[in-house]
Amino acid sequence: MGVDSVDNPMNRVVALAANCDATQLKLTAAEGYLLSRIDGKTPLRLLREIGGIPPSNVDECVELWLDDGVIEVVAGKPEAKPKGASASAATTATAATAATAADKMDAGESDGQPFPPPIDESMLDERLDISLDIQRRILEFEAGLGRPYHTLLNIDVGSQPKTVKRAYFKLSKEFHPDRFFRKQIGDYGARLNRIFKKILEAHEMLSDPELRGVENQAAASDTFVEPPQQPTSRAALSGPAKTAPDKNAPPEATPAAAPKRPLTKLERLRQRMPFKINHAAIAERRARAAEIFKAAEYSQRAGRLKEAEANIRIAITFDPSRSEFKEALGSLRIEAAGARAAKLMAASSDRMPDSELREVLTLLEDVLPYRPHDPDLNERAARVCLKLGKLDDAAEYAETLIARTPEVATYHSMLGKIERERGNSDEAMSAFETALKYDEEDVDARRAIASMRIGARDAARGGRS
Amino acid sequence: MSRVIGIDLGTTNSCVAVVENGQPTVIPNSGGYKTTPSMFGISQDGKRLVGHLAKRQAITNARNTVFASKRLIGRRFDDPEVQKSIDLCPYEIVRGPNEDPRIKVGGKTFTCPEIAGIILREMKRVAEEYLSETVQEAVITVPAYFNDTQRQCTKDAGKIAGLEVLRIINEPTAAALAYGMSRQGDEKIAVYDLGGGTFDISILEMSDGVVEVLATSGNTFLGGEDFDRRIVQHLVEWFEENEGMDLRSDTMALQRLKDASEKAKCDLSMRDVVEINLPFIASDSEGPRHLNYELTRETLEGLVHDVVEGTLKSVEQCCVDAGVTPADIDQVVLVGGQTRMPLVQRRVTEHFGKRPHKGVNPDEVVGLGAAVQAAALLDSDNDMLLLDVTPLSLGIGTYGGHFARLIDRNTTVPVSKGHIFTTTRDDQSAVKIRVLQGESDMAAENDLLGEFVLSGIRPAPKGEPEIEVSFDIDANGIVSVSARDLATGKEQSITVSSTGTLSDDEIDEIINEHDLYEVQLKD
Repeated sequence: MGVDSVDNPMNRVVALAANCDATQLKLTAAEGYLLSRIDGKTPLRLLREIGGIPPSNVDECVELWLDDGVIEVVAGKPEAKPKGASASAATTATAATAATAADKMDAGESDGQPFPPPIDESMLDERLDISLDIQRRILEFEAGLGRPYHTLLNIDVGSQPKTVKRAYFKLSKEFHPDRFFRKQIGDYGARLNRIFKKILEAHEMLSDPELRGVENQAAASDTFVEPPQQPTSRAALSGPAKTAPDKNAPPEATPAAAPKRPLTKLERLRQRMPFKINHAAIAERRARAAEIFKAAEYSQRAGRLKEAEANIRIAITFDPSRSEFKEALGSLRIEAAGARAAKLMAASSDRMPDSELREVLTLLEDVLPYRPHDPDLNERAARVCLKLGKLDDAAEYAETLIARTPEVATYHSMLGKIERERGNSDEAMSAFETALKYDEEDVDARRAIASMRIGARDAARGGRS
Repeated sequence: MSRVIGIDLGTTNSCVAVVENGQPTVIPNSGGYKTTPSMFGISQDGKRLVGHLAKRQAITNARNTVFASKRLIGRRFDDPEVQKSIDLCPYEIVRGPNEDPRIKVGGKTFTCPEIAGIILREMKRVAEEYLSETVQEAVITVPAYFNDTQRQCTKDAGKIAGLEVLRIINEPTAAALAYGMSRQGDEKIAVYDLGGGTFDISILEMSDGVVEVLATSGNTFLGGEDFDRRIVQHLVEWFEENEGMDLRSDTMALQRLKDASEKAKCDLSMRDVVEINLPFIASDSEGPRHLNYELTRETLEGLVHDVVEGTLKSVEQCCVDAGVTPADIDQVVLVGGQTRMPLVQRRVTEHFGKRPHKGVNPDEVVGLGAAVQAAALLDSDNDMLLLDVTPLSLGIGTYGGHFARLIDRNTTVPVSKGHIFTTTRDDQSAVKIRVLQGESDMAAENDLLGEFVLSGIRPAPKGEPEIEVSFDIDANGIVSVSARDLATGKEQSITVSSTGTLSDDEIDEIINEHDLYEVQLKD
């Protein structure tokens, strides 16, 4: 930024176009603030530094406004003639101090910001029930609504909540529509509504501890949180529109709550506000959940497992975030189902009827989601599935076991048995061989390999004869 | 300019006030009482009686005397509260053509806004007599939990009474206004309102004449009547133990017990022990039985201790909502007759660590506050400003039957809030915006205020179109909702007009009829 040539576009000076009514523009807070600093004196170079807006956004805004005829380049008379970098640096410093430290609205005039902004005197109306002074004040305040929140409330950046509240009350007393109840105030009613809503918004943003941090940080670091809206983003949205409207789409479909456009930071904050999380209510629910969970533990100790289970389920409904509740439900079900399954399994012999096997499997499947890697449970499940002929499931359980602990020979030989049943003799053979690799003594594997070899030989013979 | 009055239209008693020379003053009725019973009756010879006159003949003419009709106003006939009243009230409650409860007395059926209108007309008359001039405008108070329909019905009642209702404000807010009228400097106050049937707690902040509602909480099913019920239950059990008779199925005996309990409860606020004496309460083969029991304040406190603790739970919740601790509260204002009970005062004192404010009369403070708000609106000398809030959350119904809340309850008005929504199906060309009011997360459980369709959305994959829905509430509480397709700029909007249970024609009809009645009186 050291170049001080007049040809440099950074030295261009812009001013509000004479025929443009700034009050009719739709501006964001940041844009309004920037516009308020365009005074026909400040060169673009300074504008880029003082607005509290990223320089790239300043450039975009200025270009856009130039295109729209809102502002024009005041050619030929760069008033801030580059006498030296020191003069402009001084101005920059003043402006920066103003923005960061004590950006009072009446301080505006002293450092070159046009507040109160010039108002259109023709809008004053003597016939109304409010004095011309108040009308002027309303018009001026409305024209300056785009200023940063703390400037709007006329308080320092980072003011205490109490100061924020007092400033908000003071302005409410001045601009709340109720102050002019039943008075003939023409279109000032709408203006008051706009002003009060903005004051309300400023109070809300500056007194929310979370949001206030963001606002203050932004004000202090000179990067205003709301970059100017770019018309390009909107054009892009309407771009990929398809033809042939669907006449059948019924109108009763309600919209889903899903904001899609990448939002600016401030927009995101604003939008989040109506959906504020009710921390108190959640805390209450959590407390309830903890209480219910305690009751459940008591029931469990007393051996009333059904009751304990029901209570834990309620606790989870109240507070789904607590993983220990889910774990507790798991171990409870293992205690209940696992006990029964173990009993059944212990008594298990090859002669166990399918119905009982199926019950064992149901119990195991019930418990497994809570302990998906429990080797004991997986092994039992694999065996039962194998017996029931649910080979795919059995293979899955066996593979889970092998994935966790590949060095256990019995798992491999079990997989081998399963693969043999499935008819994949090659896979079965390799599984049995792996089993033997880990444990030479694995009887199942040895026997299986032997019988498979014999079988293969027989098959080969049979085929030849 | 004619004067504007403030009216506290209570469940049991009503109170009217006006600001005179900058001071809010309660207007006494012709009998010298500062409050008037909210009762209406038709005597045996067809005379219409209101207030004290109605109350005086209530015992002998129970079937034709209406009381506590505030419990019914703006509700549907099937509402549990209405069904409860049907069981308890000696007068007849019938189903009206608009599914609203109506009251049948003296051979004629009255709507609830009509009954409220009769009481408001009486309050208007009291004020006119006192001020020696006609009164046409009023601010009326309602409980904080009243919904839109209940508020609108109260407005309709005002219309029937020949009053233009400038504003409907919440009772606790009114109490705070009356209190704040004479205060300067910054204060946070809690209004603890324990009335006959409900409990309300509000926390407000005031500074230099500006009053802001921070939070409101409460329990609509907890109030002074619970105290009475506990005493009745205790007496029934005692009688059963000592006399071996169960009075629970004897409605006549229960009514007598209820009256005696209420009286004993009030007396125990001043005394340590009262005698409940009900001769011939029942009889059996051995002859008549009498109930004679000494109720001590200690026993009573033991009976209702948990009810009082229940109110303190709401207080805690309200403090959390307002973001304050009980120690931050500078002043506690008690409202409602039940707060005269020493136990209530003691527990409130202990909870906040300070004695409640003594300067206000719990029966009159709400009416005074209504008058203060009336003056604040119309009197340019009055420097009070109430930053009023929306009583219930507003939002729209979304996919899956959910309720997307755009404006939380207790949000200061006027206010605008918006949110971007999208479609749920590919090439969806229209969306229906259903405007709802209520606190449930499920759309179906909230009240539907209005609906409209935004069509002409360009075909796009679901989730892509952006529809901005904005809510706007003005200072008078009028809600308008608009939906705009950000791609096309197409916009649709409605202004939600609240509806009571009566149509405009019905209200006009009632007004005409009452005017006729007025003429008849003068004949």
